[in-house]
Amino acid sequence: MGEDVRIIVDGRAIAAPQGATLLQAMLDAGLDIPHYCYHPKLSIDGSCRLCSVKIEGMPKLQIACNTTVRAGMVVHTDDPDVAQTRRGVLELLLLNHPLDCPICDKAGECWLQNYSMRFGSRVARTVEPRRKHGKRLDIGERMLLDQERCILCRRCVRFCREVSASGELVIYNRGDRSVLDIADRRLDNAYSMCTADICPVGALETKDFHHRLRVWFFTQTASVCPTCANGCNIAIDESHNRIWRLTPRRNDAVNDTWMCDAGRLNYRFVASPARLRQPLALRDAALVPTSWTEAIECAAAHLLRVRDAYGGGTLGALVSPHLTVEENFRFGELLRVLGTKQIAMAVARGPSDNFLIKPEKAANARGVRELGLVSGADDGLGSLIDAVKAGRVKALYVCGDDIVRVLEAPRLAALLEALELLIVQTLEQVPAFARAAVTFPTTTFAEKSGVFVNFAGRAQRIMAAIVPPPGWLNDGEIFTALLNAVSSRQERFNPEAVWAHIVDSTAQFSRLTLERLGTQGAPLSPAGAPAAGQAPAT
Amino acid sequence: MRPPPRIADWHSAVALLMGFWVTFRHLMVNLFGFSRGRQDFTVYYPEQRFLHAPALRGMPVLVQMEDGRERCVACGLCEWACPTSCITIFPAETDDQVERYPRVFDIDVSRCMFCGLCEEACPEEAIVMSRQVEIAAYSRAGTLWHKDDLLVPVAKLKTRIDYLRANYGR
Repeated sequence: MGEDVRIIVDGRAIAAPQGATLLQAMLDAGLDIPHYCYHPKLSIDGSCRLCSVKIEGMPKLQIACNTTVRAGMVVHTDDPDVAQTRRGVLELLLLNHPLDCPICDKAGECWLQNYSMRFGSRVARTVEPRRKHGKRLDIGERMLLDQERCILCRRCVRFCREVSASGELVIYNRGDRSVLDIADRRLDNAYSMCTADICPVGALETKDFHHRLRVWFFTQTASVCPTCANGCNIAIDESHNRIWRLTPRRNDAVNDTWMCDAGRLNYRFVASPARLRQPLALRDAALVPTSWTEAIECAAAHLLRVRDAYGGGTLGALVSPHLTVEENFRFGELLRVLGTKQIAMAVARGPSDNFLIKPEKAANARGVRELGLVSGADDGLGSLIDAVKAGRVKALYVCGDDIVRVLEAPRLAALLEALELLIVQTLEQVPAFARAAVTFPTTTFAEKSGVFVNFAGRAQRIMAAIVPPPGWLNDGEIFTALLNAVSSRQERFNPEAVWAHIVDSTAQFSRLTLERLGTQGAPLSPAGAPAAGQAPAT
Repeated sequence: MRPPPRIADWHSAVALLMGFWVTFRHLMVNLFGFSRGRQDFTVYYPEQRFLHAPALRGMPVLVQMEDGRERCVACGLCEWACPTSCITIFPAETDDQVERYPRVFDIDVSRCMFCGLCEEACPEEAIVMSRQVEIAAYSRAGTLWHKDDLLVPVAKLKTRIDYLRANYGR
């Protein structure tokens, strides 16, 4: 790579990597240089001309996005020519841009709005009527196109060519007749909604977020997508204690600036009316809602009864790959106190690709394995099933409902039939679990803070964006309450304290404090036990 | 040296008597003059109502176009401009040419301070300050006006809209 190159921008010295472009260097140094067509993860275009700056020694302004830094380069962005050029570019863009701001979803996060306010002219000199093109065009299952709003930066065209390798979007004609359109296929690739992220204006909009809410009401929370084991970094947009949208966050080690459409759309389940809002208990072959205290007492009593009658070894557990490392650690403590030996994990699998989508459809399967809770190529599932069939395991505590998708219905029914006691912790009521003595509601990723470990062994933090209703016990609190009930302890569930303990006691997690994980996460240490029982590679 | 000031002098007495005479004259005219020269400024509310000037900022209302639809496109600018956050808007999509409309448009009139910033912010002339000032309610809930309560036909708001166009340079 070579040494860093020293350049001066507006009197300030900046160190830039050799071979970097001027714009890359300035943006990485924290300068807010206006630009449209440049994107850190796409090829350089040079079409918008908005990043033009004055470089001493060069007579005309140069576009920073396609100028390589040279030692001793002196750059001015406060030059009057630069200001006039920016004003000119914006004025030309606004000549044909429709007056759609009141009905455009991009308002509030629109680069044309923002740059016009900062760098644009104060007066419009438009005389001729604006050119007309298609509006609200249905170009894909999840995408809408407004051709009039397009500023022809070509980010979406390059995305479809370079990132999704699908090439759906093209620009026809030239000059002021240029228009963005789909060529021969609809925009239906698995990452199509990323084009709405990178579009600086409201030309490409997602159907999911179309006319939903103004973005200035959102509180953004950094989190991680729960849909597969890739662990794409996301931002949760919340308002009125509801999730309205997920967008990707940049993480160069995991997902660049992208996420798949399936993960992006997977947030509505958090507010689903089908979610369990109260624990359920089995009374006279019917599941009735009970209070949290009663449910905890009932479950603890059942577990102790089985343990005392048949021994702790007859208790089995299915841990959830959707719960955080801290929650599963507390579950492990509970299971140890109960004497449980047969612990397994079921992880639903699905289609994957060679980009971001991973076959394991859960965010923390590897986290469970790194804790050493399960082992074996099938995460101990076969061994657990055999033990239940043989009658060595009489009670099962099932967290998550992945088992319903992993085992065929008859096999699952036979498995559950053989049990004397079933306790479950799920999101919604599952028909297969109708015999559960106690059903606890689980808490979603958006309502808790903790750590997920992705398929590649990267530990990443999730943060709570939504507050559960008052009186609610989240998964860690349920495990802790049961632990207290069966062992007369007085613990509380504090995820940060649990994580600190994990960092101190488990080799792979050493030195991975929450501060160090930050918003970008960090890889597990290679030293220590290798990831046990990794699912077979696809 | 100045002469010492005196409390009473004949100038003050004359002014006092003239004041009494004006009041007495008005009293006689109003009591017995009836329609001739009677200057009774009292408005016998609620049988009579005062017709306020177009500049008066009464309650904000939504302009209803001839086809019965609101002009509002739920852009949210009035909601954001409101200093008391009394407006709540949830947009939704339509299949018409105008693709956006307010599914929910609530104004909490007990919070409204009648400043008119919402009217000023609106890019569509969709919300205007009417001359409606009778907003008392029997309960807190009664002070929350929903979209259907707020719609007023555009013909009734002509005076205000003309005033706005003349004064705001629109």
